[in-house]
Amino acid sequence: MAWISLEKAKKLEERFGYPKVSEGKGVVSVEVPKDKFIEFLTFLKEDPEYQFKMFIDLTIIDHGEKENPRFQGVVILFSPKNQERIIVKTWAENETLPTLTNLWKGAKWAEREAWDMFGIKFEGHENLVRMLLWETYPYHPLRKDFPLEGIKDTELPSLNESLRGENLEGLFNYDRMHTALPTMEDLEITQKKRMPVKTSQIVLNWGPLHPGTHGTIWFLFDLDGEYVKQCDIIIGQLHRGVEKLGENVNWQQFIPYTDRMDYIAAINENHAYVLAAEKMLGIEVPEKAKWIRTMMAELSRINSHLLWLGTYALDLGALTMFLYTFREREKIMDIIEGITGARFTINYFRIGGVFADLPYGALDAIEHLIKDLPQRINDYETLLTRNRIWLSRNKDVCIITEEDVYQYGLTGAVARGSGVPYDVRKIDKYDAYGEVEFDIPVGEKGDSYDRYLVRMEEMRQSIRIIAQCVAKLRKMSKNDPYFFQTPDEKKLKVTIDGRGMKLPAGETYASSDNPRGELGFYIYNKKDGLKAHRMRIRSGAFYNLQVFTKAIIGRPIADAITLLSTIDPVVGETDR
Amino acid sequence: MGIKKVGAKPQTLVEKIFFLDFIKGLKTTIKHLWKKVITVDFPYEVVTPPARFRGIHGLRTVDGTENPEFDSWVKRLKIKPPEPGETRCIACKFCQAACPVPELFDIQSEKLDVPEDHPHYGLKVMTVFNMDLSKCTFCGLCTQACPTDCIIMTDIYDLSSYTRKSWVLDKDVLTQIANDFVARRGKEKFDEKSAWREDQKLWPEYDKTREKLWDFNMPRLGPNYQEQTA
Repeated sequence: MAWISLEKAKKLEERFGYPKVSEGKGVVSVEVPKDKFIEFLTFLKEDPEYQFKMFIDLTIIDHGEKENPRFQGVVILFSPKNQERIIVKTWAENETLPTLTNLWKGAKWAEREAWDMFGIKFEGHENLVRMLLWETYPYHPLRKDFPLEGIKDTELPSLNESLRGENLEGLFNYDRMHTALPTMEDLEITQKKRMPVKTSQIVLNWGPLHPGTHGTIWFLFDLDGEYVKQCDIIIGQLHRGVEKLGENVNWQQFIPYTDRMDYIAAINENHAYVLAAEKMLGIEVPEKAKWIRTMMAELSRINSHLLWLGTYALDLGALTMFLYTFREREKIMDIIEGITGARFTINYFRIGGVFADLPYGALDAIEHLIKDLPQRINDYETLLTRNRIWLSRNKDVCIITEEDVYQYGLTGAVARGSGVPYDVRKIDKYDAYGEVEFDIPVGEKGDSYDRYLVRMEEMRQSIRIIAQCVAKLRKMSKNDPYFFQTPDEKKLKVTIDGRGMKLPAGETYASSDNPRGELGFYIYNKKDGLKAHRMRIRSGAFYNLQVFTKAIIGRPIADAITLLSTIDPVVGETDR
Repeated sequence: MGIKKVGAKPQTLVEKIFFLDFIKGLKTTIKHLWKKVITVDFPYEVVTPPARFRGIHGLRTVDGTENPEFDSWVKRLKIKPPEPGETRCIACKFCQAACPVPELFDIQSEKLDVPEDHPHYGLKVMTVFNMDLSKCTFCGLCTQACPTDCIIMTDIYDLSSYTRKSWVLDKDVLTQIANDFVARRGKEKFDEKSAWREDQKLWPEYDKTREKLWDFNMPRLGPNYQEQTA
């Protein structure tokens, strides 16, 4: 696994004296005092031996009201040179932490989210406003003393229905009191705080309900003529508090909620979560489950990329593409529906394997599909790749540099389009990815065209992986287990339905390469428990979307659509 | 580590002058002109969902195909032994425990009001089983938790209604849904012991509408693994 070795981390301890190294479940974390935090991180980033120059995640753990200090900051870094990660922790005394934005620009949004959710102030942050909620919201909802159902302080009688004069109150009706909702004034305040200084006469609002934003994202453009001078993004319209839910439902019961984050690639979301939970348990899933999961994850990746391609081309005016890609998508959905029982919110993977074996004929259908698919992808490419309109809308548009990738923690096709071969499938080799052959496509320049080419190539590589998985599964027996069989039920209980399943104390971080970037789950457990103490979801789409505010500067407003499409965020995942 | 470089290639002069990029694109489009329509004309045409489809729930009744542990579960929970045609539910609430949204279930059981010398004295029956499907995520965890294979998911997916009230299904409706489903497609989905059949098909092969969405080129379903038989 791609983590810094314990010996190497101990060297840090010897060198500085103050870091405390501890080993979690397959991860290594270093705890440093708050006043040495920035110094230590700067060393990690710049020392030629370590070079942890890629920012992965920043979050906070709330240890409960009784603890003092109560909050702990957690930073996850990656070293592209050594291909390893590290966790750095520090205690947030007086509910403040020094800002990381001078080291990594990508920390800007993460810190805003930490302020929003936990009320931790970051000293030196340029504009510490809320990330997901509106500015006048009074609470910090991920704190342990905030109830799961929220604080109901607003009366909303309109949610109650009556049918033909019949009053249905009391019959499966909603409560009249509702949790706080933003009013128009609140939104205006939010908008002004996000962009305190504007240079032009008007700020162009794009979204939150615009078909081009593919979801509910609210863009603010400060324009000079047609060129963007300043940009900020207001997200959170789809915020459902998945992290809070993750801390309040049982382990297997959380999987349906992960479906609803990145709903385009639900299987990959399930995958990342079950990987993290399995790492926490320290179990190895059966061989067959590994191969099934790898195959399904790649099917889902193609599915997601087809939707991306269709809508991307649609946004740029190539309507036919949308109809073609949805034809192939329908076939994949049909296969997925047959195997798992659902088309969209799939919930097929379980901690410990999958919930059912493949149905009769599944491999034949998949084989049939992948025989046909390369030809279809070639068809798409003849329509788009060399087309002069396509070229002029995409080439040299919104270049994202390699430095940006490290600074903002970009992952997935966005990172690969900029020439960084960052692929968690190759780094972590989870499930069967260590045993299949595939290439990582990387771009040259980092413009929109490269990101397009990378995703097209990724589809071809996925087909390659699926073909290998089918060949391997063909050799297996129908009696091979598809779910983890526990050697001793009393010591370790893993159930398909999740009743009575406990995960041990400790911390872990595991991630999968989602079509939208690295989706990671950081789980922290104080003691053995039915529920997590802290469930942090590192969303690839969230960090990838952040670079939008930089890459769009100096570009005409029409490029916003191209850039947004090639970054390809899904709002369910950015907002969680 | 396999890394594959992709990069833009500039258009050649020939391509530019003769509009080859457009001609090639048009060729692909024209090829599609002669193809048959692949969209399914819902609601006049309907694709039959696969056997595993997770639709509206149902509660199965006793019909002689219970799993071997059924009697011991009935005994353990002190439930009145059900007659054929009565529900299999033993009010164990495992479905509720496995549900990500437990409040959608309302399950109650009552002790039978019979004299002391009656054989059913002290035994319980399930009296209330309400499911508020507006809260349901259709994840299928309840069906996997059920020890008596009572709660199942059917292939019905049209849930729309004018009021939230009608999303709440009670035990009679749920039983009726399950009976109807088992009569229609029970053989396809369940084996003699009410578990999922091992040779459940990926999708029903008798459904001819599905051919449309597969471009009239359906895969032929065969065994997945070497020793598997249909």
